[in-house]
Amino acid sequence: MADLVGVFAASHGPIIARDWETMPAGHRNRLAAGFDEIGRRLKASRPDLLVVISPDHWVNFFISNLPAVCIGIGDEHDGPPEPFMKKVFPHERLKGHAAFGRHLLQTALDGDFEPALSHRLKLDHGTCIPLWRIGVDIHLPIVPLIVNDLEEPMPNIRRCLAWGRLLRHAIESYPEPLRVAILGTGGLSHSIGEPTMGWIDEEFDQTCIKHFEDGEDTRLAAFLTQALPRTGNGAHEIRDWVIAHAAAGSKGFELIDYFPSPETLVGAGFASWRLSS
Amino acid sequence: MTDYWVSKLFFDLQHDGKLAAEYRADMAAVIGRYEIRPDIRKALLEDDVATLAPLVNAYLLRFYFQIRGMPESEFIARLHALQKPKESAHG
Repeated sequence: MADLVGVFAASHGPIIARDWETMPAGHRNRLAAGFDEIGRRLKASRPDLLVVISPDHWVNFFISNLPAVCIGIGDEHDGPPEPFMKKVFPHERLKGHAAFGRHLLQTALDGDFEPALSHRLKLDHGTCIPLWRIGVDIHLPIVPLIVNDLEEPMPNIRRCLAWGRLLRHAIESYPEPLRVAILGTGGLSHSIGEPTMGWIDEEFDQTCIKHFEDGEDTRLAAFLTQALPRTGNGAHEIRDWVIAHAAAGSKGFELIDYFPSPETLVGAGFASWRLSS
Repeated sequence: MTDYWVSKLFFDLQHDGKLAAEYRADMAAVIGRYEIRPDIRKALLEDDVATLAPLVNAYLLRFYFQIRGMPESEFIARLHALQKPKESAHG
């Protein structure tokens, strides 16, 4: 049986990579501190494997074929294709974990979920900005769980909670000893390529944080279902946090930091969940 | 309403550096390979954010105007000009 040893979440955004060296030092330092603390906690958890829950920014999928959820079951994945990522995270290949990926896929199918599968995914900035900034061991195997957070219609929040519980069940039913950590990426609020671009909805973010700290699934789902259509489109990435939250057992999280980051166009959030036994 | 072919053009430009370079050199020739309506072709040639925004995913739209070389501040300003009055407080 595998063990869940840590559950974390962090924001991402292309500007974090593109402007890292040129943004105001105080702002960069605060972003760095959030990522660093997750990196410290992840390292302390001594994982053998990291499940990364992230959107796909039109790198693997298009509207001709757009899965709601896709599990990466390959032994290897491609590093980020974006030119701005190649400068800061120049890894052409990232190690996968085919055995756990397949186990997660089979557990999903056995549980009446029907995700897509991929033997080789391109892991874009949504995955690789957090990996870069938390200083992940580049040899740590990654199982990507790609969620459609970009193009409506998207998985509902109740289903994301169910995905989180399914992920936890897959970890606990894996037949080999394995220390598994989870990283949800994206959010909090932001608005990209729409008339409100640049808007950071602090009220949404603070209410999200309160619900994640509280840990109660029904209230979290009710809030997000009502609020997501009314805030910026980037907030849909909160689905990745919701999956992480449910995988952790919905016992509440510790907020490492939150602050509006107009320099990077995101409500920057960093969190670590309490784990249920 | 999503326009498949405009979306496909933007997606292809994101994935193919050579195509993006060709697009910069001769937009009309590249647009001609896609089933794009004349009014949308005109909007592409004129960098008409207002006409294109409702037709494609917002993330693809952002990337497209990066390929076009539009400064992000100008792109954001053009988007903000599309806000309805009740949304203006969110700017």
